[in-house]
Amino acid sequence: MPRLAGLLFILASAVFSMAALSLALVPTLGRLPEPQITTEQNLAIVVSLSNPVENLSMAELRRIFLGERSHWPNGRRITLVMMEPGQPERAVVLRDICQMNETDFNNHFLHGVFTGEVLVSPKTLATPVGVRKFVFNVPGAIGYLRVSDLDSSVKAVRVDERGPEDKGYKLHVPPRSSK
Amino acid sequence: MKFPGPLPIRAMFALKLTGRMIVWRIFPLLLIILVNATILRSQQLIDAPAADKQTLQLLLQRIDQLEARVKQLEAAKQQAAPVSLPSATAQSSAPPVSEAEPQADNAVPERMDSSKTLLRMRGFGDITLHGDNQRHDTTSFSLGQLNLFITSDISEKFKFLSEIVFEGGPDNIFGETRGENNTFGVDVERMVVQYSHSDFFKLAVGRYHTAIGYYNTAYHHSTWFQTTTGRPFLFQFEDRGGILPVHTVGASASGLIPSGHLGLHYVAEVGNGRASRSPITEEPVQNVVDDQNHKAFNLALFARPDAVRGLQVGFSAYRDLLAPASLPRIGETIFAAHAVLVRPKFEWLNEILLVRHAPNGIPRVFNTPGFYTQLSKQFGSYRPYFRYQYVNASSTEPIFPDVGLRQGPSFGLRYDASETVAVKLQYDYTALRGQPAVNALALQVGFTF
Repeated sequence: MPRLAGLLFILASAVFSMAALSLALVPTLGRLPEPQITTEQNLAIVVSLSNPVENLSMAELRRIFLGERSHWPNGRRITLVMMEPGQPERAVVLRDICQMNETDFNNHFLHGVFTGEVLVSPKTLATPVGVRKFVFNVPGAIGYLRVSDLDSSVKAVRVDERGPEDKGYKLHVPPRSSK
Repeated sequence: MKFPGPLPIRAMFALKLTGRMIVWRIFPLLLIILVNATILRSQQLIDAPAADKQTLQLLLQRIDQLEARVKQLEAAKQQAAPVSLPSATAQSSAPPVSEAEPQADNAVPERMDSSKTLLRMRGFGDITLHGDNQRHDTTSFSLGQLNLFITSDISEKFKFLSEIVFEGGPDNIFGETRGENNTFGVDVERMVVQYSHSDFFKLAVGRYHTAIGYYNTAYHHSTWFQTTTGRPFLFQFEDRGGILPVHTVGASASGLIPSGHLGLHYVAEVGNGRASRSPITEEPVQNVVDDQNHKAFNLALFARPDAVRGLQVGFSAYRDLLAPASLPRIGETIFAAHAVLVRPKFEWLNEILLVRHAPNGIPRVFNTPGFYTQLSKQFGSYRPYFRYQYVNASSTEPIFPDVGLRQGPSFGLRYDASETVAVKLQYDYTALRGQPAVNALALQVGFTF
């Protein structure tokens, strides 16, 4: 009998402890920094506002992102801006535009610079804010941003005659993972 | 030292009873403590947001202070020094640019930022263990070329590029081994200043690789880039017994030809050409003085169509006038054609050449044909490959009588041990005219750093 009472007491204590812990966790869960974006977003190709280019075909984009085109039609040198390896935006560009993996992309630029065909390697930036600022400041720059990261400081070009807000746009990036 | 013996049974029983009593009396007490501790922990967690808010507020205040300090320092720096405009270029290996740092516009592109080092350097090297069945050849470890590849963006329109190569002897010119076996020499293999006006017109001056065929401009002095352990014999360097003017000193214009999806390109070159190999010279490339006023010309056209990714098809025509000693002048014409398919995981190279020597005043013309085909495919880190090459020079050829007939297959396996180190194992079989065939085996480590 005393054993049974002890056992009941232990079980009750455990239940009480779990209830107290779960109450303590509620505020923590409520303090998530940002709402989650759960659906895919379009990835916009961005250039400086002063760049007259409005539309690029996928083939042209590929040539630009592989360094095979080094000048815009207005003669200004193209400065390619890439985000750091591991970023989902970069992965989309490598997969859908360059059709290469990270190693092949790096080797391609290394070889291109070695042969002299590629004038400069891409500029690597860490965040969308950095990309936006760089493209805003460098007239020949071209980069990429999620539609949610766009603002009026840069211009999103159309790809194969479709803007990033249009249906049928080809470049999609998975939602940001929460950290 | 004495260890205590076992306790008597009675004493043990007494202890057991006492232990039970302790368990049943003290256990609830322990549980109460545990529950209280849990409740206290929960209370702390509930209070945590308040503490976090306070910390956050402090951190934000600290960030504000730091930002104000950065602005203050930037203002002081701008007052102290004139504004300089760094080139808007960078290598992929460069660290990410700080987002707070405003990027320079290229509004005044021709100004040089003297406060920054303009040179960028990458190195290439290889070490090979090789052996063959030729008489007098010994199985040896060999240091290959140590290549310091240097580039510099002089300005938005101008770029400098060079390859400074340290390599061991001996040289093999005109079938003769020259130089000391184990000495190292330094060669400036490429030194080019390039002006880039647009995609349609680029002009380079200096010492460069002639645009004869494909291999010569696709693979320079780095075995790491190449699938195989070495270049095809047709494109062997001049100081290694090669038959082509691989290098020249002069000017080269290149660019796109507006052709839509066809992707046509042109290359037009004029330079000193190559010394005639007769008599033998230490340096076949005429770096400083041409042996005559006549200049060598080369024109190449190639297409990279959008429809087939990695395909390049093209041809080139080279013309020079050689001035060998004790022989009349010889007109040299080299026709080359290529069709290559190069993708990250697959490679198929095909090139064919004809070297035509026409001595002045002699009705005879000497033709030396050659070709090679090379096939490879990547499987993970492994890349097996095959190459077959052929070159056939007449034994009476006035410029390179030592070449003769050489043909045969090569088989090999490249293993990419890391992104920057490749290990290759290659077997070569070379049939020669009037001599026993050569079987050779090579194990090479090629790397970039």
